[in-house]
Amino acid sequence: MIANFITMNGYGIFVWASFSIVFISCALVYIKTRKTLKKYERNFLLEVKNLPNQEKNRILSNSKIVQQILATSPKIK
Amino acid sequence: MLKFFTRSNTYFLIEKIIRFINSIFFLILLVALTFALFLSPLDYIQGDVVRIMYVHVPSAWIGLGCFSFITFLSIFNFIFKLKNFFLISKSLAPIGLLFTCLAIVTGSLWGQPTWGTWWAWDARLTSMIILMFFYLFYILVLKYFKHQEEYAVKASSIIAIVGSVNLPIIKYSVDWWNTLHQPASIKITGSSSIHSSMMVPLLLMLLTFLLYSALIFLMKYKTEIIRIKKKNIKRL
Repeated sequence: MIANFITMNGYGIFVWASFSIVFISCALVYIKTRKTLKKYERNFLLEVKNLPNQEKNRILSNSKIVQQILATSPKIK
Repeated sequence: MLKFFTRSNTYFLIEKIIRFINSIFFLILLVALTFALFLSPLDYIQGDVVRIMYVHVPSAWIGLGCFSFITFLSIFNFIFKLKNFFLISKSLAPIGLLFTCLAIVTGSLWGQPTWGTWWAWDARLTSMIILMFFYLFYILVLKYFKHQEEYAVKASSIIAIVGSVNLPIIKYSVDWWNTLHQPASIKITGSSSIHSSMMVPLLLMLLTFLLYSALIFLMKYKTEIIRIKKKNIKRL
């Protein structure tokens, strides 16, 4: 039964190749997208961290979106 | 209503939606794969090879859907001049390209055992290749005008609007010309010729791909927002 499932009556190579290509491509795109997002988040946090305190407070009080980015991003080490 | 589409209103929602999709994605993927690989019946002519349909058809739908959406957003962007529409299109394009390529590759893998050839210059296949090139042009233009956003918006919108001419050609190519590719089995209006035992796995795989696309889109969109905010940090 298992062998039959793997060979799929001789069509296994086509079926498994299709599913593998789809899932490997999707996984690679996911990893790359996530990596890029984390890089941008890290750089943004560093940029904010390196600002003088007065400037930092001004930006935080003026920009709702910066507050949200900081609230949802992981903390930098 | 357009105020809803501002970045500050959507940013917080994005994180919540990403978490929600992450929490349900693998469960839905598992159910969809069980249906597609174990529970769905064999086709009486094609046998097991019909299972390729469960990855090929949703990929093609998403490839077409993304380009249609990009076209509408490009037209709206010309009218309303809302930068957010451009960011959404920019984030959607790589997803559309990915799924168009996957539809072509899996279609080729399906073609060999059923038609006896990997490729034919048939109307449906050729128009899908043209769609892939439109996606490539779109993304290349965005990369080329990386530092001149105004040009990037105009050039990419023109490509999307010109490329939209290809969409009805893809859809109706199987009706207008004699093609190797079979006519549509699933119709939004009118009766579909696919049995429910195959329709259920197909819809489940579509749902899985849509959730994946939403996840990638939201991560890309979030990256774009952070990139813009970083660039303008001194002006905030």
